[in-house]
Amino acid sequence: MPSRSTYGSLSLAFFSFVLLSGILLAIPYNVDKPYTSISEMLIMNPWASFVRNLHFWSSQLFLIFSFLHLYDHFHRKSKIGLKKAMAFRLAIGVLIIFLAMITGFLLKADADSIQARQILFTLTERIPLVGKILAFSLLGKEGNFELIYVHHIATFTIFITIIIIEHAKRLWPSPQDFFIAFLILIGISYFWTAPLHDTMNPAVKGPWYFVGFQEILHWMTHPEWSVLFITLLILLIYIVNSGQGKAMFLSKRTLLIFTLFYGILTLIGLFFRGENWQWSFPGTKDYKYTVLHNFKTETVNFSPTFSETDARKSPVIMDRKESCVICHKDTHGFTDSHNPKAIGCFSCHGGNPFATKKTQAHKNMILIPGNLENSRQSCGTAQCHPNITERIPTSLMSTLSGMISVDKYVFGEQKSPNSLTNVNQLIGHSAADVHLKNLCVRCHLGNAKTETGPITDASRGGGCLACHLNYNPKADTAWQKHQQNQNDTTYLKYHASISLQVNDNHCFGCHSRSGRISTNYQGWHETTLLKSEMPKDSIHYRLVEDSRVFKKEPADVHHSLGMQCIDCHTSYELMGDGKHYAHEENQEVVQCIDCHFSGKPHLTPANKLTDESAIISSLRFGSITGKKYLTTHKRNQALINTWYKNDTAFLISKKTKKVFAIKAPAKQCQRDNAHKDVSCSACHSSWAPTCIGCHNSYDPNEPGFDMLRNKEEKGSWVEYTGSYLAQLPSLGMRIENEKEEIIPVIPGMILSIDLSNFNKKLHDSLLFRRLYAPIAPHTTSKTSRDCKSCHNNPTALGYGSGKLTYVVKGNNGTFVFYPLYENNKHDGLPEDAWIGFLQNRTGMVSTRTNVKPFTVEEQHKILLVGACLSCHKENSKVMKRSLNDFSDVLKHLSPRCILPDWYSDKKSGH
Amino acid sequence: MSENKHTRRNFLKIAGGLIGLSAVGMWAELTKNQIDLLNKKTVTFPFNPNREISFTDEFIIKNSEGKVITYSAHCTHMGCIINKEINGKLICPCHGSEYNLNGIPVKGPAYKPLEKFKTTLSTDQKQVIIET
Repeated sequence: MPSRSTYGSLSLAFFSFVLLSGILLAIPYNVDKPYTSISEMLIMNPWASFVRNLHFWSSQLFLIFSFLHLYDHFHRKSKIGLKKAMAFRLAIGVLIIFLAMITGFLLKADADSIQARQILFTLTERIPLVGKILAFSLLGKEGNFELIYVHHIATFTIFITIIIIEHAKRLWPSPQDFFIAFLILIGISYFWTAPLHDTMNPAVKGPWYFVGFQEILHWMTHPEWSVLFITLLILLIYIVNSGQGKAMFLSKRTLLIFTLFYGILTLIGLFFRGENWQWSFPGTKDYKYTVLHNFKTETVNFSPTFSETDARKSPVIMDRKESCVICHKDTHGFTDSHNPKAIGCFSCHGGNPFATKKTQAHKNMILIPGNLENSRQSCGTAQCHPNITERIPTSLMSTLSGMISVDKYVFGEQKSPNSLTNVNQLIGHSAADVHLKNLCVRCHLGNAKTETGPITDASRGGGCLACHLNYNPKADTAWQKHQQNQNDTTYLKYHASISLQVNDNHCFGCHSRSGRISTNYQGWHETTLLKSEMPKDSIHYRLVEDSRVFKKEPADVHHSLGMQCIDCHTSYELMGDGKHYAHEENQEVVQCIDCHFSGKPHLTPANKLTDESAIISSLRFGSITGKKYLTTHKRNQALINTWYKNDTAFLISKKTKKVFAIKAPAKQCQRDNAHKDVSCSACHSSWAPTCIGCHNSYDPNEPGFDMLRNKEEKGSWVEYTGSYLAQLPSLGMRIENEKEEIIPVIPGMILSIDLSNFNKKLHDSLLFRRLYAPIAPHTTSKTSRDCKSCHNNPTALGYGSGKLTYVVKGNNGTFVFYPLYENNKHDGLPEDAWIGFLQNRTGMVSTRTNVKPFTVEEQHKILLVGACLSCHKENSKVMKRSLNDFSDVLKHLSPRCILPDWYSDKKSGH
Repeated sequence: MSENKHTRRNFLKIAGGLIGLSAVGMWAELTKNQIDLLNKKTVTFPFNPNREISFTDEFIIKNSEGKVITYSAHCTHMGCIINKEINGKLICPCHGSEYNLNGIPVKGPAYKPLEKFKTTLSTDQKQVIIET
């Protein structure tokens, strides 16, 4: 008996613990439900968990010490000189040790094991001649673990035992080695629980001793060659054990170099490979989740926080027990799809699903899942909504591409307002960058929600939660109580829900700004009144959470009917379709004609819906079978809350479930040749918010806020506004694909920017811009604006507010315009104008490159009708006739009709 | 005597060899039969006409432009199970191989296309039948 411990004697001691713990482990282990049974050990049977740890660590240490024992020989130059048969069996023994280890790994049956099994099967299958039968004999039927279990506990264990007896001439270790091994194992097994994949981590890795091999396989397009490589290694071990002279020495050195090389590959595989075996480095976004997560382990807790009865009663979730739901068992408020009885708590909140006390369970927990920074670990895991969380970052609500590009364009830092930009790349410190960070970029989905609580008017961002988070009244009350008294834990019983109930208030926080489509839609117009100036007890005024005062204006007709934002807007519009768009009108697809059509409907049958649309439609409205859905003309997206039956189109409100028969456009809209290039919203928008007299300057002493980093800083851009008006929108021309369309526009950016305090070196310290912006006002009215509101209206034509009169003197007709506002000193145009009266304006005129004011020729055309309307009523026969054939009307003019000079000049050829 | 000894040893060697060979033969036959028994099968899954790509443990069912095609979910590189599609790509979690929706590899290490299986729809179009 040896007097001192060697690597070999210690490996023997660890092997004895492998055998003993293995026998004990067979009692709680269930080969029919391996993953479930291990999760049960971890949660409900701490002693079984401890024995599992003993088994795991003793086997790892047996492997390590066996190799240290081999290495002992490698670094010596002397020969080992075993008999050939013995050396052969030992070399095979090394392979068998690995097989025993890997089968143990496979018996966990977790996500790692299932893929490792496939790799082992495929690799064995590719051995020439006997591969197929060998692979099947080794691993058996897919999904069944019986054969693997048999080989693990019998075939390989017996073989290793025989080899050990033959090699070491004994099976039992010395008491000294046994005691050392015992002490080491007890300590390790208590402190570090053997790994079990939680099924959520997208990184799939083999056991630590095979990740180097996984790295090698990753580089090989013909991995079957690795079998030859393994054979070569066994041969080298054989030569080392039995050979002598140069062959033996070279084999030793080769194995040594290989071990070093393999060690490096192992480190790469363990620490620098993440999801889909992609490179992953410390400090990168998902490193902690996909790489370090694998090393997450806990001590064994012999007195779980919960009772055994509660643990037994808790549900099996996705093939495993999850300790979270044992403590949080009576929590209510979830939708069916997110019920913890089906998906547990861990799927969303992370933490440790196998922990048995609070501190362990809540470690690395995500308090607010659904923020974009954690959405891939919560909402977007492979089992849930990965396709949605992949495409949201490219959607406009995440990138803010239009907002950033237009701002940089206005500041003269970008040549085009159409460049694709992304708020996450807004890392510069230019005047526009800082302007955006100070005043604009809070409203993007990537802005994390950092506190619990419902979505309110003041909410910004929040990833998936921005739209899908809802607190029912009980949850809201419980949350309020907790806010008032942190010791009140009622809120734990009433969970917020993540649901399809996306209400208008979800949109309100962000969309009550800029174009203000949320407030416009509800009929609220922002004023410049202070909170203290707001008329009290008036139903015509509304104060929103951030102290802005709104005044009542006509609401959108769809809002008055009870329709919500999402009754028109589809999931692909709101969450994007995976493409990066420059502006909202590029991403949005819904147009008035999709529902209010004349003639044949554009339809999609239920069986042609995308999976996403089909699921959402079924969840909202039940069976979809046989339905035909109205479909957008742009990009063919089905509107899942519509259908077409018996020559009638219907829409059902997603919230109220109220059904509407959709009306076709008015006859005037359908038959009218004169207005075929006019968009529906140009006529049917009852008002639009406008602002003029805006000035921006940088104040280095102003307390500022970086909205991107959510940090306070000294110095900020300050915006001084002029006046806000609610008025009929102006009109402009959008030219797209050589098609012209008259659309509503507003004076979006008539402003001056004082750069002098931002950067003294700037050559041109004051910028003045006069840009109009296209708008979808969301103030649709059933009736259209009248003829004069366009043809005789200086605001509509882009001249700005004022008085436009048609003056007839003798046989001469002339339009005269008296602007309301003074001319601006920078360009000589009235403050609110887009163009000069009867003048052309080109160049930097709009926040889009495809939107322009009317040319003089177009102004003439519009005003020509205006001249007629100055005498004829718009409902008169002649004006109605003009709608279909204006040129015919002009051919049959009465002598009393005096048309503008330019028309007469043109007609007479001057 | 010594000749007899040799004869007996030779006989035992030959007999042992023959028994060993028979054992190998038996093993090969019984395993081959068992593999055939399990592999030649027809499986049926509910058909979702709205889902372009469906994953099961063994199969990837593609339903596009009125045609239903089934691919093996096993990556052709090392047999790992492909269980996700991101932006029109089927991605293997083990070594990062990527395939397009026609099963053609677009990123290595895999270089062979995914195996295809004969697939039909039931007459009521409610089930997809896969023959392996």
